[in-house]
Amino acid sequence: MPEDTKKKEKQTNIVDTIWDFFTSLKLVITLLLLLSVLSVAGTVIEQNKPIQEYYRFFKPETVELFSKLGLLDMYHSWWFTSCLALLALNILACTMERYPFIVRGMRRQSVVLDEKLEAGLTNLATIKYTLPAETVESRVTAIAGKNFPARPVITEAAGAKHLFYEKGRYSRLAFFLTHLSVLVIFIGAITGSLAGFKGYVNINEGETISSIPARKGANKDLNFSVKCNTFQVDFYPNGAPKDYRSDLSVIRDGKEVLRKTIRVNDPLDYEGITFYQSSYGRLPNAVTFEMRGRGGVSLGNVSAPFGTQVDVPGGGIKIEVLDYREHFHLSDGSEAGPAYGVNIIRPAAAPEGIWISEPKPEMNRYGEYSFVVKDARFINYTGLQVNKDPGVWLVWTGSLILVAGIMMAFFMSHKKFWIRIGKDKKGQVVVTAGGMTNKNKHAFAGEVKKLVDGFREVS
Amino acid sequence: MTNSLLFGISIFVYFFSMVLYVSYLAFRSESLGKVATFVLLAGVGVETAAIFLRWYESYQMGIGRAPLTNLYESLVFFALTIAVVYLIMERKFGIKTAGAFVTPFPFLIMAYASLNPNEIQPLVPALQSNWLISHVVTCFIGYAAFAVSFGVSFLYLFKVRAERGPAKSKKGDTLLAYLPESDLLDEVGYKTIAIGFPLLTIGIITGAFWANVAWGTYWSWDPKETWSLIVWLIYAAYLHARITKGWKGKKAALLSIVGFSATLFCYLGVNLILSGLHSYGGAS
Repeated sequence: MPEDTKKKEKQTNIVDTIWDFFTSLKLVITLLLLLSVLSVAGTVIEQNKPIQEYYRFFKPETVELFSKLGLLDMYHSWWFTSCLALLALNILACTMERYPFIVRGMRRQSVVLDEKLEAGLTNLATIKYTLPAETVESRVTAIAGKNFPARPVITEAAGAKHLFYEKGRYSRLAFFLTHLSVLVIFIGAITGSLAGFKGYVNINEGETISSIPARKGANKDLNFSVKCNTFQVDFYPNGAPKDYRSDLSVIRDGKEVLRKTIRVNDPLDYEGITFYQSSYGRLPNAVTFEMRGRGGVSLGNVSAPFGTQVDVPGGGIKIEVLDYREHFHLSDGSEAGPAYGVNIIRPAAAPEGIWISEPKPEMNRYGEYSFVVKDARFINYTGLQVNKDPGVWLVWTGSLILVAGIMMAFFMSHKKFWIRIGKDKKGQVVVTAGGMTNKNKHAFAGEVKKLVDGFREVS
Repeated sequence: MTNSLLFGISIFVYFFSMVLYVSYLAFRSESLGKVATFVLLAGVGVETAAIFLRWYESYQMGIGRAPLTNLYESLVFFALTIAVVYLIMERKFGIKTAGAFVTPFPFLIMAYASLNPNEIQPLVPALQSNWLISHVVTCFIGYAAFAVSFGVSFLYLFKVRAERGPAKSKKGDTLLAYLPESDLLDEVGYKTIAIGFPLLTIGIITGAFWANVAWGTYWSWDPKETWSLIVWLIYAAYLHARITKGWKGKKAALLSIVGFSATLFCYLGVNLILSGLHSYGGAS
């Protein structure tokens, strides 16, 4: 054998081996079970928590190991994604492998019930009649027509009349629907993660925003702005929230182009960007502190608007209210009521942040200063999840196809049924009939039996 | 509350139907079997009435919502769907002896439900959605079908094992002969999964659709979602092995049992055990 051919043969062998690997049932089942076992890990180790949380529950070296293995964000890890990619390749290869068989199965093959076909039918029945051929034909086709609504293919061959009935031919496509739909869903998910965007924004009542802080990466600038006109929340008698809603306006070039009250389960959609009611809260608009100096001597009141640096009288320092917690927890876990996050700015020094508790003024010391909260005015804000997902329609399309495919696969089958009306040597009318199906053979055998029993009763 | 009275009655009715199905298996009397089916039907009737009454009462309380929203309500609905799916399979395939392996579920689940708080609570905003009913109903009929398949597969394994075992006493032999053909059990185990799988698929998809409307993300890999996917993957593996490779009998029955164990974990384990890092906890 020349070297060339040998080489070629070897190559084809490798290709064949790879192809066999990707189309093997073993791979499908291994992948399905492997993916389910791997997924368990991600439900046992909570995913995507702030790293400090893990250190509270695991040893530092365990956290490092988990982090290295990608176990803290495992559904996006290279090995989990590879398994999904392998599954996609597997589906694609199996679909290609199956394609010719399915097409062949759908092609209308033998419309004539000949000896070769007869040999392949397990439920073949032969019935002799004393009636004329026309009568037999009209009665037998009437019975068969009730079971097979589509008109039969009629062929005259070898001195006999052959009728071919068929039902559910397209159910053979179920294989493509169920398998390709999964790929469509994958493509939708990939599109969403590549071209989409997920963010979260708080808007104070009466305020307008035109960019969204993204979960990952830079801020997303909108080419319109969104105003929260009002925010309202209703409670049940037991104190649980019953309904919360934001009255939003979409403003473009200074004009309101859309206005909608959104609630949980009823978002606002504008130019492919969706605003979901996610949470709510309130922030202090302005806080008044009584400042005390050395020995508890009052330095007078300071009124600090949120996010603005204010001079402290006679102190040479500035303060700025930057944060607020409705229920502030101390490091020992006890609650210290509402607290204000304040930055203290000394000249020529980095600002220092402290929490100022409203109900516990004795805790609010900073160097020689102490703070007493005298008054606070609040403003409501609405918390919005903001998404753009250009792949989501593919996910829903894939889902619909998947359900349709599964229904077809389980509840429909390709049924074929043949009737031959001929005469034997004595000139007596003979009907030969039998059927074949690709699925649920037991139920179809009953169907055929019922038809044949009907034929026998023709007299 | 009248609905809890009716639920209480249905626990007893389910208990009697279980006792009757077990006695039917033990004494092999056809009339006992008929009574067992009738009593189970009665249990379904009482429980259905209880669920609708609870629905009605929620409207009278000014809350007005479908009774499918907390652990108690899902448990009682689960019990009902298992009983209904089983009755359908019994009628279709005449597998009455499997009842002794399936009817303990409705009884035990109802008994467990009765240990949980059952006040009618108003709904948090996220659950106020038209998707609630379709999502919960499809998921739970799916779960119920898997439960019936589990019971039937268990019976299959029991029968096959007993048949292969050393020669039994005469009594054991007659009991074995009375059980359905193992082929039929195998077939029913598959057929119920063929009902459950499409419903679970629809349940996951409606859940994803709802999540997208409520939270703006159709899939976030939270433990409930992930476990529902795990269950789906296991049954997908079962179906591939069975349809393509012709896995039948013991292997299929074992996979059905694994699948239902995962289903139970998806339903109860996730809520009771995996509620968060803290409950798992513990440096080790």
